[in-house]
Amino acid sequence: MLVSWKYRPRNTIIQRLDPRSRLIFLACVILGITIPNIWDFRIIFPLFLVTFGLYLSARIEWKDIRRTWLFIFILIFFIVGLNAVLSGRGGPTSVLQDNSAPLFSIPLYIPWTNFGIKIDITMVRLFFALTQMTRMLTMAILAIPIPYTMDPNIYGVTFRKMGVSDKVSFTMDLAFRFLPTLARDLSITIDSQRARGYEMDNLKGGVIARLRRLAPLIVPVTMQSTVTGEEVIDAMDLRAFGTAKRTWLKDLKYGLGDYLFLGFGISIFLSLMILRYGFGIGNFWIPEFLLRWAGG
Amino acid sequence: MEKKSLWAFGTRQVVYGAIGAALYGAFSLLTNLIPLPAAGNITFRPAVAVLIFFGVAYGPWVGLLAGFIGNTLGDMLAGWGFYWNWSLGNGLMGMVPGLAMLMISNYKDTKEIVKAVGWGTLGIAVGIMTASLLEMFTGGIDISTALVGYFVPAFLGNLVVTVILLPILMVAFAAVSARRGR
Repeated sequence: MLVSWKYRPRNTIIQRLDPRSRLIFLACVILGITIPNIWDFRIIFPLFLVTFGLYLSARIEWKDIRRTWLFIFILIFFIVGLNAVLSGRGGPTSVLQDNSAPLFSIPLYIPWTNFGIKIDITMVRLFFALTQMTRMLTMAILAIPIPYTMDPNIYGVTFRKMGVSDKVSFTMDLAFRFLPTLARDLSITIDSQRARGYEMDNLKGGVIARLRRLAPLIVPVTMQSTVTGEEVIDAMDLRAFGTAKRTWLKDLKYGLGDYLFLGFGISIFLSLMILRYGFGIGNFWIPEFLLRWAGG
Repeated sequence: MEKKSLWAFGTRQVVYGAIGAALYGAFSLLTNLIPLPAAGNITFRPAVAVLIFFGVAYGPWVGLLAGFIGNTLGDMLAGWGFYWNWSLGNGLMGMVPGLAMLMISNYKDTKEIVKAVGWGTLGIAVGIMTASLLEMFTGGIDISTALVGYFVPAFLGNLVVTVILLPILMVAFAAVSARRGR
């Protein structure tokens, strides 16, 4: 049985848009930030406000999305944010070459020995963490609403109409459809193995021992999916999949709103490229007053 | 019996490419909160063994699609966004072991398992090196950060996962295939 995401039709501007324009807009923002390597908070923050506004306009109910947000909160604030503050990694090299005065230091030593390191926390690293988290959120909150607001029946035709081949479009369509099903299978397998005494939260031993103990979760789900695959192949072959040019049940058409939205996305992409390659703007930036205040 | 072709792209490749992508995405979601020490925003992914297994069992197209789409799905749903260079790297990580598909027929045989792990290791090296070097353009890092901060921890993490989990998956697959008769 196939399970689907919590997609629900809502009368919102976002859902009235053609899915192609949403995906192209998403690509414009993500590629506009990553290709010219934009790390300037003065550019990233206004973009964040735009994407956050679009997220809010999707009007996804909090009860549907709160687990996703909890996951993203842990990832972005505790993992990416802490990584940025403690190591300065994950961004431009200029952050790693930071010579500003430390605000405070965190000593990480093995108790009762002199072995260990002292990590200096500087204003540059703190501001870099803020920039990094905002940058990630800007890109992530465009992708988060997709499973909740895009009809699973139109994934395939969306990619096909964007010029992708029938077979690759169908692969994408199937992958989107299988993901929630396999996620559910994984959850059932975890529960079944726990009922047999498997302690997922208490994996003891070294890395190798822990990895071997993941096998009771990974192997049954993977093997079951290979069996399911054969059944799906038989069903598709019986319907002569791939023997002639494919037609799609639903058709997509751009409207005026789509052209405006696409124009907005493309102008964002072009502006970011021009800022970087025309004016050299987009490097990591920190307000002067913060550096002065920190004594840098 | 249908003759296996390395570069065929039919129903089998479409379905297993999709299943591999969905599995890689689902397993990656499970572990996307476990960062690798010393690496810049790279997570520990036991799912890599599943990706390499799909490449070895079903060929290079399946490996490429499973890695590219699976990484994109896992990252998007976890909130990482879309990093095309890492999706490409993951695609290559599945595609390169797929080149060994025709060399492996007995999934229980030790020599063939070693061969699969070897091709998997090559795939990890090619995929992670590509993604790490492209990070110099997308992330503005220098080459030493790309190699020491990204390539080495990600390569070692994925290697350990592959050496341990890939043989287990292959032996289990041999049993499933024997029972199914294909």
